[in-house]
Amino acid sequence: MNLQFTLSKLPTMLTASLMTIELTVLSLIFGTILAVIIAFMRISKNKLIKNIARFYLWIFRGTPLILQLFFLYYALPTWGITLSPFAAAVIGLSLNSAAYTAEIVRGGIISIHEGQYEAANVLGMTYRQTMFEIILPQTIRNILPAMGNQFIGMLKDTSLVSTIAMVELMRQAQLVGSATFKYTEVYITAALIYLLLTSVFSYVFSKMESKLSIY
Amino acid sequence: MPLMEIKELKKNFNSQTVLKNISLGVEKGDVVAIIGPSGAGKSTFLRCLINLERRDGGSVNVEGIELNPDDKKSVKKVQQKMGMVFQSFNLFPHMTVLKNVMIAPIKVKKIDKSIISEKAKNLLAKVGLSDRGDYYPSQLSGGQQQRVAIARALAMNPDIMLFDEPTSALDPELVGEVLKVMKKLADEGMTMIVVTHEMGFAREVANKVIFMEKGNVVEEGTPEKIFNNPSEKRTKEFLEKIIK
Ligand SMILES: Nc1ncnc2c1ncn2[C@@H]1O[C@H](COP(=O)(O)OP(=O)(O)O)[C@@H](O)[C@H]1O
Ligand SMILES: [Mg+2]
Repeated sequence: MNLQFTLSKLPTMLTASLMTIELTVLSLIFGTILAVIIAFMRISKNKLIKNIARFYLWIFRGTPLILQLFFLYYALPTWGITLSPFAAAVIGLSLNSAAYTAEIVRGGIISIHEGQYEAANVLGMTYRQTMFEIILPQTIRNILPAMGNQFIGMLKDTSLVSTIAMVELMRQAQLVGSATFKYTEVYITAALIYLLLTSVFSYVFSKMESKLSIY
Repeated sequence: MPLMEIKELKKNFNSQTVLKNISLGVEKGDVVAIIGPSGAGKSTFLRCLINLERRDGGSVNVEGIELNPDDKKSVKKVQQKMGMVFQSFNLFPHMTVLKNVMIAPIKVKKIDKSIISEKAKNLLAKVGLSDRGDYYPSQLSGGQQQRVAIARALAMNPDIMLFDEPTSALDPELVGEVLKVMKKLADEGMTMIVVTHEMGFAREVANKVIFMEKGNVVEEGTPEKIFNNPSEKRTKEFLEKIIK
Protein backbone atom coordinates (compact mmCIF):
# COMPACT_ATOMS: atom_id res chain seq x y z
CA MET A 1 0.00 0.00 0.00
CA ASN A 2 1.48 3.29 -1.15
CA LEU A 3 0.52 5.96 1.33
CA GLN A 4 1.92 8.86 -0.65
CA PHE A 5 -0.03 7.83 -3.73
CA THR A 6 -3.16 7.40 -1.66
CA LEU A 7 -2.82 10.88 -0.18
CA SER A 8 -2.17 12.42 -3.59
CA LYS A 9 -5.42 10.96 -4.92
CA LEU A 10 -7.42 11.78 -1.81
CA PRO A 11 -8.69 15.20 -3.02
CA THR A 12 -10.02 13.64 -6.25
CA MET A 13 -11.71 10.87 -4.30
CA LEU A 14 -13.22 13.28 -1.79
CA THR A 15 -14.55 15.49 -4.55
CA ALA A 16 -16.19 12.45 -6.10
CA SER A 17 -17.70 11.50 -2.76
CA LEU A 18 -19.41 14.90 -2.70
CA MET A 19 -21.35 13.64 -5.70
CA THR A 20 -22.18 10.47 -3.78
CA ILE A 21 -23.52 12.60 -0.93
CA GLU A 22 -25.45 14.83 -3.31
CA LEU A 23 -27.07 11.84 -5.02
CA THR A 24 -27.91 10.27 -1.68
CA VAL A 25 -29.47 13.37 -0.18
CA LEU A 26 -31.48 14.30 -3.27
CA SER A 27 -32.76 10.76 -3.77
CA LEU A 28 -33.62 10.53 -0.09
CA ILE A 29 -35.68 13.70 -0.22
CA PHE A 30 -37.54 12.87 -3.45
CA GLY A 31 -37.77 9.19 -2.58
CA THR A 32 -39.25 9.84 0.85
CA ILE A 33 -41.83 12.32 -0.40
CA LEU A 34 -42.87 9.85 -3.09
CA ALA A 35 -42.84 7.03 -0.55
CA VAL A 36 -45.32 8.82 1.72
CA ILE A 37 -47.63 9.41 -1.25
CA ILE A 38 -47.41 5.76 -2.33
CA ALA A 39 -47.93 4.55 1.24
CA PHE A 40 -51.15 6.60 1.46
CA MET A 41 -52.26 5.30 -1.93
CA ARG A 42 -51.55 1.79 -0.75
CA ILE A 43 -53.83 2.15 2.30
CA SER A 44 -56.49 4.02 0.33
CA LYS A 45 -59.98 2.55 0.26
CA ASN A 46 -60.19 3.32 -3.45
CA LYS A 47 -59.35 0.10 -5.31
CA LEU A 48 -57.91 1.84 -8.37
CA ILE A 49 -55.57 4.06 -6.35
CA LYS A 50 -54.54 1.10 -4.23
CA ASN A 51 -53.78 -1.01 -7.30
CA ILE A 52 -51.74 1.73 -8.95
CA ALA A 53 -49.57 1.79 -5.82
CA ARG A 54 -49.36 -2.00 -5.78
CA PHE A 55 -48.30 -2.03 -9.45
CA TYR A 56 -45.61 0.53 -8.71
CA LEU A 57 -44.24 -1.55 -5.84
CA TRP A 58 -44.39 -4.69 -7.95
CA ILE A 59 -42.30 -3.11 -10.71
CA PHE A 60 -39.71 -1.34 -8.60
CA ARG A 61 -39.20 -4.02 -6.01
CA GLY A 62 -39.35 -6.83 -8.52
CA THR A 63 -36.62 -5.66 -10.90
CA PRO A 64 -32.95 -4.84 -10.25
CA LEU A 65 -32.04 -1.22 -9.58
CA ILE A 66 -29.33 -1.41 -12.22
CA LEU A 67 -31.91 -2.40 -14.82
CA GLN A 68 -34.10 0.54 -13.79
CA LEU A 69 -31.12 2.87 -14.19
CA PHE A 70 -30.22 1.41 -17.58
CA PHE A 71 -33.79 1.76 -18.72
CA LEU A 72 -33.92 5.43 -17.74
CA TYR A 73 -30.56 6.26 -19.25
CA TYR A 74 -30.29 4.00 -22.30
CA ALA A 75 -33.85 3.03 -23.25
CA LEU A 76 -35.76 6.25 -22.71
CA PRO A 77 -33.86 8.17 -25.44
CA THR A 78 -35.38 5.83 -28.04
CA TRP A 79 -38.73 7.17 -26.84
CA GLY A 80 -37.49 10.71 -27.30
CA ILE A 81 -36.69 11.31 -23.63
CA THR A 82 -33.02 11.94 -23.05
CA LEU A 83 -31.83 12.30 -19.49
CA SER A 84 -28.45 13.49 -18.29
CA PRO A 85 -26.59 10.88 -16.23
CA PHE A 86 -27.25 12.97 -13.15
CA ALA A 87 -30.99 13.25 -13.81
CA ALA A 88 -31.26 9.55 -14.63
CA ALA A 89 -29.36 8.70 -11.46
CA VAL A 90 -31.48 10.86 -9.16
CA ILE A 91 -34.73 9.74 -10.77
CA GLY A 92 -33.76 6.07 -10.73
CA LEU A 93 -32.56 6.10 -7.13
CA SER A 94 -35.59 8.08 -5.98
CA LEU A 95 -38.12 5.84 -7.72
CA ASN A 96 -36.42 2.72 -6.42
CA SER A 97 -35.93 3.80 -2.82
CA ALA A 98 -39.50 5.18 -2.74
CA ALA A 99 -40.81 1.66 -3.31
CA TYR A 100 -38.95 0.24 -0.32
CA THR A 101 -39.52 3.26 1.90
CA ALA A 102 -43.24 3.24 1.05
CA GLU A 103 -43.62 -0.22 2.53
CA ILE A 104 -41.81 0.88 5.68
CA VAL A 105 -44.05 3.95 5.97
CA ARG A 106 -47.18 1.89 5.33
CA GLY A 107 -46.15 -0.59 8.02
CA GLY A 108 -45.60 2.30 10.40
CA ILE A 109 -48.97 3.88 9.66
CA ILE A 110 -50.97 0.68 10.08
CA SER A 111 -49.16 -0.13 13.31
CA ILE A 112 -50.74 2.91 14.98
CA HIS A 113 -53.58 1.84 17.25
CA GLU A 114 -57.14 2.43 15.99
CA GLY A 115 -57.87 4.32 19.22
CA GLN A 116 -55.66 7.18 18.03
CA TYR A 117 -57.88 7.74 15.00
CA GLU A 118 -61.00 7.48 17.14
CA ALA A 119 -59.72 9.99 19.69
CA ALA A 120 -58.82 12.44 16.91
CA ASN A 121 -62.15 11.83 15.20
CA VAL A 122 -64.31 12.57 18.25
CA LEU A 123 -62.25 15.69 18.91
CA GLY A 124 -63.36 16.89 15.49
CA MET A 125 -60.10 16.60 13.60
CA THR A 126 -60.21 16.16 9.85
CA TYR A 127 -58.45 13.28 8.06
CA ARG A 128 -55.56 15.60 7.17
CA GLN A 129 -55.18 16.91 10.71
CA THR A 130 -55.36 13.40 12.09
CA MET A 131 -52.64 12.24 9.72
CA PHE A 132 -50.29 15.18 10.11
CA GLU A 133 -50.76 15.88 13.82
CA ILE A 134 -51.40 12.43 15.24
CA ILE A 135 -50.51 9.52 12.98
CA LEU A 136 -47.42 10.57 11.01
CA PRO A 137 -45.43 11.94 13.97
CA GLN A 138 -45.87 8.62 15.75
CA THR A 139 -45.13 6.75 12.55
CA ILE A 140 -41.84 8.58 12.08
CA ARG A 141 -40.67 7.52 15.49
CA ASN A 142 -41.69 3.92 14.94
CA ILE A 143 -40.06 3.57 11.55
CA LEU A 144 -36.86 5.52 12.23
CA PRO A 145 -34.67 2.42 12.74
CA ALA A 146 -35.93 0.81 9.52
CA MET A 147 -35.53 4.10 7.68
CA GLY A 148 -31.94 4.34 8.89
CA ASN A 149 -31.21 0.98 7.32
CA GLN A 150 -33.00 1.95 4.14
CA PHE A 151 -31.05 5.21 3.87
CA ILE A 152 -27.70 3.49 4.40
CA GLY A 153 -28.64 0.95 1.75
CA MET A 154 -29.48 3.85 -0.52
CA LEU A 155 -26.11 5.49 0.07
CA LYS A 156 -24.35 2.29 -0.98
CA ASP A 157 -26.70 1.86 -3.95
CA THR A 158 -25.51 5.16 -5.37
CA SER A 159 -22.40 3.21 -6.43
CA LEU A 160 -24.56 1.53 -9.09
CA VAL A 161 -24.96 4.78 -11.02
CA SER A 162 -21.28 4.44 -11.93
CA THR A 163 -22.67 2.22 -14.70
CA ILE A 164 -24.52 5.08 -16.37
CA ALA A 165 -21.55 7.41 -16.73
CA MET A 166 -22.05 9.21 -13.42
CA VAL A 167 -18.75 10.01 -11.77
CA GLU A 168 -19.26 9.49 -8.08
CA LEU A 169 -17.03 7.81 -5.53
CA MET A 170 -17.18 4.29 -6.99
CA ARG A 171 -16.65 5.42 -10.55
CA GLN A 172 -13.79 7.68 -9.55
CA ALA A 173 -12.12 4.77 -7.78
CA GLN A 174 -12.44 2.67 -10.94
CA LEU A 175 -11.05 5.46 -13.12
CA VAL A 176 -8.05 6.12 -10.92
CA GLY A 177 -7.50 2.40 -10.45
CA SER A 178 -7.46 1.53 -14.10
CA ALA A 179 -5.22 4.49 -14.93
CA THR A 180 -2.62 3.71 -12.26
CA PHE A 181 -3.15 -0.01 -11.58
CA LYS A 182 -3.05 0.83 -7.87
CA TYR A 183 -6.35 -0.96 -7.22
CA THR A 184 -5.60 -1.79 -3.60
CA GLU A 185 -5.03 1.85 -2.69
CA VAL A 186 -8.05 3.28 -4.48
CA TYR A 187 -10.54 0.65 -3.36
CA ILE A 188 -9.39 0.79 0.23
CA THR A 189 -9.65 4.58 0.12
CA ALA A 190 -13.14 4.35 -1.38
CA ALA A 191 -14.15 1.76 1.21
CA LEU A 192 -12.95 4.02 4.03
CA ILE A 193 -14.89 6.97 2.66
CA TYR A 194 -18.05 4.83 2.35
CA LEU A 195 -17.54 3.62 5.91
CA LEU A 196 -17.13 7.19 7.12
CA LEU A 197 -20.34 8.26 5.35
CA THR A 198 -22.42 5.32 6.55
CA SER A 199 -21.11 5.79 10.08
CA VAL A 200 -22.08 9.46 10.06
CA PHE A 201 -25.55 8.47 8.79
CA SER A 202 -25.92 5.83 11.50
CA TYR A 203 -24.84 8.30 14.12
CA VAL A 204 -27.31 10.95 12.97
CA PHE A 205 -30.12 8.39 13.00
CA SER A 206 -29.31 7.03 16.43
CA LYS A 207 -29.24 10.63 17.71
CA MET A 208 -32.66 11.26 16.18
CA GLU A 209 -33.96 8.02 17.67
CA SER A 210 -32.84 8.90 21.17
CA LYS A 211 -34.20 12.41 20.76
CA LEU A 212 -37.60 11.04 19.78
CA SER A 213 -37.68 8.40 22.47
CA ILE A 214 -38.41 10.92 25.19
CA TYR A 215 -41.99 9.70 25.19
CA MET B 1 -87.67 18.36 24.08
CA PRO B 2 -84.76 16.46 25.71
CA LEU B 3 -81.16 17.53 25.12
CA MET B 4 -80.59 14.25 23.35
CA GLU B 5 -83.17 11.92 21.87
CA ILE B 6 -82.37 8.43 20.63
CA LYS B 7 -85.12 6.50 18.89
CA GLU B 8 -85.13 2.83 17.96
CA LEU B 9 -81.39 2.69 17.40
CA LYS B 10 -80.32 -0.46 15.56
CA LYS B 11 -76.90 -1.82 14.82
CA ASN B 12 -75.69 -5.02 13.16
CA PHE B 13 -72.20 -6.37 12.78
CA ASN B 14 -72.33 -8.58 9.71
CA SER B 15 -75.31 -10.82 10.43
CA GLN B 16 -75.23 -10.29 14.20
CA THR B 17 -77.77 -7.84 15.61
CA VAL B 18 -75.94 -6.01 18.35
CA LEU B 19 -78.50 -3.29 19.15
CA LYS B 20 -82.23 -3.86 18.76
CA ASN B 21 -84.35 -0.74 18.95
CA ILE B 22 -82.76 1.25 21.73
CA SER B 23 -84.60 4.43 22.66
CA LEU B 24 -83.44 6.93 25.24
CA GLY B 25 -84.09 10.55 26.13
CA VAL B 26 -81.39 12.48 27.94
CA GLU B 27 -82.23 15.74 29.70
CA LYS B 28 -79.77 18.50 30.43
CA GLY B 29 -77.83 17.63 33.58
CA ASP B 30 -78.74 13.95 33.44
CA VAL B 31 -76.17 11.41 34.48
CA VAL B 32 -77.12 8.18 32.78
CA ALA B 33 -75.33 5.02 33.89
CA ILE B 34 -75.42 2.08 31.50
CA ILE B 35 -74.74 -1.25 33.11
CA GLY B 36 -74.88 -4.80 31.82
CA PRO B 37 -72.80 -7.85 31.05
CA SER B 38 -69.92 -7.83 28.61
CA GLY B 39 -71.10 -8.11 25.02
CA ALA B 40 -74.46 -6.47 25.78
CA GLY B 41 -73.78 -3.73 23.22
CA LYS B 42 -73.04 -0.91 25.67
CA SER B 43 -69.92 0.32 23.89
CA THR B 44 -71.55 -0.01 20.50
CA PHE B 45 -74.45 2.08 21.73
CA LEU B 46 -72.18 4.91 22.89
CA ARG B 47 -70.13 4.70 19.71
CA CYS B 48 -73.23 5.03 17.54
CA LEU B 49 -74.17 8.25 19.36
CA ILE B 50 -70.92 9.93 18.31
CA ASN B 51 -70.76 8.15 14.97
CA LEU B 52 -67.67 6.06 15.68
CA GLU B 53 -69.94 3.28 14.53
CA ARG B 54 -72.48 3.85 11.83
CA ARG B 55 -75.93 2.91 13.02
CA ASP B 56 -78.18 0.76 10.85
CA GLY B 57 -81.50 2.21 11.88
CA GLY B 58 -83.34 4.62 14.12
CA SER B 59 -82.41 8.20 14.83
CA VAL B 60 -80.12 10.24 17.04
CA ASN B 61 -80.98 13.85 17.72
CA VAL B 62 -78.66 16.06 19.72
CA GLU B 63 -79.87 19.55 20.64
CA GLY B 64 -82.15 19.60 17.65
CA ILE B 65 -79.56 18.32 15.18
CA GLU B 66 -80.26 15.01 13.45
CA LEU B 67 -77.16 12.85 13.21
CA ASN B 68 -77.04 11.75 9.60
CA PRO B 69 -74.02 9.49 8.95
CA ASP B 70 -74.16 10.39 5.24
CA ASP B 71 -73.93 14.10 5.94
CA LYS B 72 -70.46 15.00 7.21
CA LYS B 73 -71.62 18.39 8.42
CA SER B 74 -74.25 16.95 10.72
CA VAL B 75 -71.74 14.39 11.99
CA LYS B 76 -69.23 17.13 12.84
CA LYS B 77 -71.91 19.27 14.46
CA VAL B 78 -73.14 16.44 16.65
CA GLN B 79 -69.59 15.37 17.51
CA GLN B 80 -68.81 18.91 18.56
CA LYS B 81 -71.57 18.76 21.17
CA MET B 82 -70.08 15.64 22.69
CA GLY B 83 -66.85 14.58 24.30
CA MET B 84 -65.78 11.00 24.67
CA VAL B 85 -63.56 9.22 27.15
CA PHE B 86 -62.32 5.75 26.24
CA GLN B 87 -61.49 2.75 28.34
CA SER B 88 -57.94 2.77 26.99
CA PHE B 89 -57.47 6.58 27.35
CA ASN B 90 -56.15 6.98 23.79
CA LEU B 91 -53.99 9.94 24.69
CA PHE B 92 -51.58 11.11 22.01
CA PRO B 93 -48.29 9.62 23.23
CA HIS B 94 -46.05 12.00 21.27
CA MET B 95 -47.50 15.11 22.88
CA THR B 96 -47.10 16.45 26.38
CA VAL B 97 -50.12 16.47 28.65
CA LEU B 98 -50.68 20.15 27.98
CA LYS B 99 -50.42 19.67 24.22
CA ASN B 100 -52.88 16.77 24.39
CA VAL B 101 -55.41 19.13 25.94
CA MET B 102 -54.66 22.03 23.59
CA ILE B 103 -54.36 20.31 20.24
CA ALA B 104 -58.04 20.04 19.31
CA PRO B 105 -59.02 23.59 20.29
CA ILE B 106 -56.04 24.90 18.33
CA LYS B 107 -56.50 22.79 15.20
CA VAL B 108 -60.27 22.34 15.11
CA LYS B 109 -61.56 25.54 16.64
CA LYS B 110 -58.55 27.68 15.60
CA ILE B 111 -58.41 29.22 19.06
CA ASP B 112 -55.38 31.33 19.83
CA LYS B 113 -52.62 29.42 21.62
CA SER B 114 -52.27 31.89 24.48
CA ILE B 115 -55.99 31.77 25.21
CA ILE B 116 -56.25 28.01 25.11
CA SER B 117 -53.08 27.44 27.11
CA GLU B 118 -54.67 29.38 29.97
CA LYS B 119 -57.80 27.29 29.70
CA ALA B 120 -55.86 24.02 29.41
CA LYS B 121 -54.02 24.83 32.61
CA ASN B 122 -57.32 25.46 34.39
CA LEU B 123 -58.66 22.15 33.12
CA LEU B 124 -55.57 20.32 34.33
CA ALA B 125 -56.03 21.97 37.71
CA LYS B 126 -59.62 20.80 37.70
CA VAL B 127 -58.58 17.17 37.20
CA GLY B 128 -55.80 17.58 39.77
CA LEU B 129 -52.85 17.53 37.40
CA SER B 130 -51.55 21.11 37.42
CA ASP B 131 -48.02 19.91 37.96
CA ARG B 132 -48.03 17.38 35.11
CA GLY B 133 -48.50 19.62 32.07
CA ASP B 134 -45.02 19.02 30.71
CA TYR B 135 -45.05 15.26 31.20
CA TYR B 136 -45.66 12.75 28.44
CA PRO B 137 -48.56 10.31 28.86
CA SER B 138 -46.17 7.37 29.30
CA GLN B 139 -44.77 9.09 32.38
CA LEU B 140 -48.16 9.08 34.10
CA SER B 141 -50.15 6.42 35.92
CA GLY B 142 -53.31 5.06 34.30
CA GLY B 143 -55.49 7.12 36.59
CA GLN B 144 -53.60 10.28 35.71
CA GLN B 145 -53.80 9.47 32.00
CA GLN B 146 -57.52 9.02 32.20
CA ARG B 147 -57.89 12.35 33.97
CA VAL B 148 -55.89 13.98 31.17
CA ALA B 149 -58.25 12.34 28.70
CA ILE B 150 -61.19 13.91 30.53
CA ALA B 151 -59.51 17.32 30.44
CA ARG B 152 -58.79 16.87 26.75
CA ALA B 153 -62.45 16.17 26.02
CA LEU B 154 -63.58 19.09 28.18
CA ALA B 155 -61.29 21.48 26.31
CA MET B 156 -63.71 21.34 23.38
CA ASN B 157 -66.57 22.56 25.59
CA PRO B 158 -68.92 19.63 25.04
CA ASP B 159 -72.48 19.69 26.32
CA ILE B 160 -72.56 15.94 26.78
CA MET B 161 -69.77 13.65 27.94
CA LEU B 162 -69.69 9.98 26.99
CA PHE B 163 -67.62 7.60 29.11
CA ASP B 164 -66.99 4.03 28.00
CA GLU B 165 -65.84 2.07 31.03
CA PRO B 166 -63.40 4.82 32.00
CA THR B 167 -62.01 2.91 34.98
CA SER B 168 -61.96 -0.65 33.66
CA ALA B 169 -58.35 -0.52 32.53
CA LEU B 170 -57.14 0.88 35.85
CA ASP B 171 -55.53 -0.75 38.86
CA PRO B 172 -58.12 -0.81 41.66
CA GLU B 173 -56.32 1.79 43.73
CA LEU B 174 -56.49 4.29 40.85
CA VAL B 175 -60.21 3.97 40.15
CA GLY B 176 -61.23 6.37 42.91
CA GLU B 177 -59.33 9.39 41.60
CA VAL B 178 -61.03 9.14 38.20
CA LEU B 179 -64.50 8.62 39.66
CA LYS B 180 -63.93 11.63 41.90
CA VAL B 181 -63.28 13.83 38.87
CA MET B 182 -66.36 12.45 37.14
CA LYS B 183 -68.49 13.08 40.20
CA LYS B 184 -67.24 16.65 40.34
CA LEU B 185 -68.24 17.08 36.70
CA ALA B 186 -71.69 15.69 37.41
CA ASP B 187 -72.07 18.00 40.40
CA GLU B 188 -71.28 20.95 38.14
CA GLY B 189 -74.22 19.95 35.98
CA MET B 190 -72.49 18.20 33.08
CA THR B 191 -74.75 15.88 31.13
CA MET B 192 -73.11 12.46 31.10
CA ILE B 193 -73.68 8.98 29.74
CA VAL B 194 -71.43 6.52 31.52
CA VAL B 195 -70.95 2.85 30.72
CA THR B 196 -69.61 1.42 33.93
CA HIS B 197 -69.17 -1.57 36.17
CA GLU B 198 -68.75 0.71 39.19
CA MET B 199 -72.09 0.15 40.83
CA GLY B 200 -71.26 2.50 43.70
CA PHE B 201 -70.76 5.32 41.22
CA ALA B 202 -73.94 4.45 39.31
CA ARG B 203 -75.95 4.38 42.50
CA GLU B 204 -74.52 7.55 43.97
CA VAL B 205 -73.99 9.82 40.98
CA ALA B 206 -76.43 8.75 38.26
CA ASN B 207 -80.03 9.85 38.22
CA LYS B 208 -80.94 7.27 35.61
CA VAL B 209 -79.69 3.71 35.32
CA ILE B 210 -80.09 1.53 32.25
CA PHE B 211 -79.57 -2.19 32.34
CA MET B 212 -78.69 -3.61 28.94
CA GLU B 213 -78.38 -7.19 27.82
CA LYS B 214 -78.08 -8.81 24.40
CA GLY B 215 -78.72 -5.58 22.55
CA ASN B 216 -81.85 -4.70 24.53
CA VAL B 217 -82.63 -2.32 27.32
CA VAL B 218 -83.98 -4.76 29.88
CA GLU B 219 -84.85 -2.17 32.46
CA GLU B 220 -84.35 1.49 33.17
CA GLY B 221 -85.12 3.66 36.12
CA THR B 222 -83.76 5.61 39.03
CA PRO B 223 -80.80 4.10 40.89
CA GLU B 224 -83.08 3.43 43.86
CA LYS B 225 -85.42 1.39 41.72
CA ILE B 226 -82.77 -0.54 39.77
CA PHE B 227 -80.54 -1.32 42.72
CA ASN B 228 -83.10 -1.75 45.49
CA ASN B 229 -86.16 -2.93 43.74
CA PRO B 230 -85.60 -4.11 40.17
CA SER B 231 -88.72 -5.35 38.44
CA GLU B 232 -86.92 -7.63 35.98
CA LYS B 233 -85.52 -10.96 37.02
CA ARG B 234 -82.48 -10.52 34.74
CA THR B 235 -81.57 -7.23 36.38
CA LYS B 236 -81.70 -8.83 39.80
CA GLU B 237 -79.54 -11.76 38.68
CA PHE B 238 -76.98 -9.47 37.09
CA LEU B 239 -76.71 -7.24 40.15
CA GLU B 240 -76.44 -10.19 42.51
CA LYS B 241 -73.61 -11.58 40.47
CA ILE B 242 -71.69 -8.31 40.18
CA ILE B 243 -72.16 -7.07 43.74
CA LYS B 244 -71.42 -10.29 45.60
N1 LIG C 1 -66.24 -3.91 15.26
C1 LIG C 1 -66.97 -5.00 15.53
N2 LIG C 1 -67.12 -5.97 14.61
C2 LIG C 1 -67.85 -7.07 14.85
N3 LIG C 1 -68.51 -7.30 16.01
C3 LIG C 1 -68.41 -6.37 16.98
C4 LIG C 1 -67.64 -5.18 16.79
N4 LIG C 1 -67.73 -4.44 17.92
C5 LIG C 1 -68.51 -5.13 18.76
N5 LIG C 1 -68.93 -6.30 18.20
C6 LIG C 1 -69.82 -7.28 18.84
O1 LIG C 1 -70.97 -6.61 19.27
C7 LIG C 1 -71.39 -7.11 20.51
C8 LIG C 1 -71.50 -5.98 21.50
O2 LIG C 1 -70.21 -5.49 21.77
P1 LIG C 1 -69.94 -4.23 22.71
O3 LIG C 1 -70.78 -3.10 22.28
O4 LIG C 1 -68.49 -4.04 22.75
O5 LIG C 1 -70.47 -4.79 24.12
P2 LIG C 1 -70.17 -4.26 25.58
O6 LIG C 1 -69.53 -2.91 25.47
O7 LIG C 1 -71.50 -4.21 26.24
O8 LIG C 1 -69.28 -5.26 26.22
C9 LIG C 1 -70.41 -8.18 20.92
O9 LIG C 1 -70.96 -9.43 20.59
C10 LIG C 1 -69.21 -7.88 20.09
O10 LIG C 1 -68.53 -9.06 19.79
MG1 LIG D 1 -67.62 -2.30 26.11
